Amino acid sequence: MKEFLLIVRTEGEVWTMLPPDKLRQHIEHGTAYIEKLVQQGKIKSAQPLDRGSRIVTKNDGLVKDAPFNETKEVIAGYFLVVADSIEEAVAIAKDNPIFDDIPSTIEVHPIKPIPASA
Amino acid sequence: MATESSYDNVPRLVDHLFRHETGKLVAVLTRIFGPHHLELAEDVVQDTLLEAINVWNYKGIPEHPIPWLYKVAKNKALNIVNREKYKREYATAAAHLLKSEWTANAALETLFSESEIRDDQLRMMFTCCHPAISGDSQVALTLKTLCGFSLSEIARAFLTTEENINKRLVRARQKIREEKISFEVPQPEHLEDRLDAVLQTIYLLFNEGYNASTGPYLIRYELCAEAIRLTEIISVSSSIVDKSKVFACLALMYLNASRFSARQNAQGEIVTMAEQDRSQWDKLLMAKGFAYLDQAATNKNISVYHILAAISAYHCSAANFASTDWNSILLLYDKLSELDRSPLVALNRAIALSKVSGPETAIAELEKLKDLSPLKSYHLYYSTLGEFYMQAGRFTEAKNALTTAIALSQLPAEQELLRKRLEICNQNGA
Repeated sequence: MKEFLLIVRTEGEVWTMLPPDKLRQHIEHGTAYIEKLVQQGKIKSAQPLDRGSRIVTKNDGLVKDAPFNETKEVIAGYFLVVADSIEEAVAIAKDNPIFDDIPSTIEVHPIKPIPASA
Repeated sequence: MATESSYDNVPRLVDHLFRHETGKLVAVLTRIFGPHHLELAEDVVQDTLLEAINVWNYKGIPEHPIPWLYKVAKNKALNIVNREKYKREYATAAAHLLKSEWTANAALETLFSESEIRDDQLRMMFTCCHPAISGDSQVALTLKTLCGFSLSEIARAFLTTEENINKRLVRARQKIREEKISFEVPQPEHLEDRLDAVLQTIYLLFNEGYNASTGPYLIRYELCAEAIRLTEIISVSSSIVDKSKVFACLALMYLNASRFSARQNAQGEIVTMAEQDRSQWDKLLMAKGFAYLDQAATNKNISVYHILAAISAYHCSAANFASTDWNSILLLYDKLSELDRSPLVALNRAIALSKVSGPETAIAELEKLKDLSPLKSYHLYYSTLGEFYMQAGRFTEAKNALTTAIALSQLPAEQELLRKRLEICNQNGA
């Protein structure tokens, strides 16, 4: 079993563009998807992100922070899942019903395990 | 709508009907909060029941009271793990999922599902019966957390004070915290030993209910029923592969329980096996016992439970006392003495021996044991000895033994039975 970090990216205003019944349906599908993963014990953690992200960079020896441009792109949240392989993790990501409703991308990152001590 | 009568019914309904729900909810909440917060889990369940009493008194009992209780308990659990102040204390995997908007509801549904609740009760058994906790405390904790018994009920079942039981519970919870006892089914390499400890506690629970002859009948019966219920939870678990011992223990309990109601007459007096009305033996329980005995035979390892169940099966299958197959029972006791060298086994073996080889042989066997504790202060040792002397026609010696037995017995029904035997000795010139 390996752990994978799934980062869900979408656009800031897409949620508000969904009509109410579509939004309700979106939430229902999302809940069912997560329920299945919880039951299968595949999710270690999953959380939505709040607004107000900041980005920290270092330029010319100076560390600065600036607001993350949230109208263009937002990280909606993350999933920390356990899977046997990257293929399984990708399959879990592909199953996410978010793709049916709003333009999104999901990044699937394998998490490097702590090397077993000799 | 609330009716007059619901004022009387609600506390009783809550107290009694929800005993098992209490045990289930404590198990789930302990999984969420962690075993070091066992008392919090118990308190939350208590709060849930109080809320039920208050609301139901006012609005009447809902159509589906159990889902109602679960909903209240779920909300309380969610509030507690998300209380800012304590967020870090509930670091269990279950609590983690309850802290996220995305997973909280899904996790609640899963955690409170029937199969998870069953597994949590099993985990709770391993936690309650951890070897770091003393035997007395294990039993009290099992009754309190898994069976939903109140302090006063546990105290009555064990003929002691509530204060005493509370002390045992406090010590047990303290041990769980100090020793960081986990809430899980043990790893395969420890499973057999830990399962033995669980079965031992459950069997003790059963025997408390089965052997005590004072105290309210209902509580005694419920102790036995609870022991069976807990063992059946183990018997359906997929985490335990070799269940031979579990089935044997169930067979033993069912076979013994089938004779439960024939062991006492309407006046509350004890009826010996020889005099029991066998038509009163519960055929359904007996059939279950035999079915479990078949399932127990899948393994070559013979446990104490296998032997005891087989002995019980010989008694159950005898049409009457006279046709009991004592030769086979004696052979089983011989086997049992190899596994368990306790004087109590030797005492029971002597009874079978008396049937096979006559009372004098059995008396000689018992006399050999007379200085062993706990026999030398055990009323059943002297009552058995007295019985053998009577059978041998040695009424003066019988009278002495029976007198000692009466002095050592603490149970009125038993003393009464012994006095009747003593009277027969007197009539025979002792």
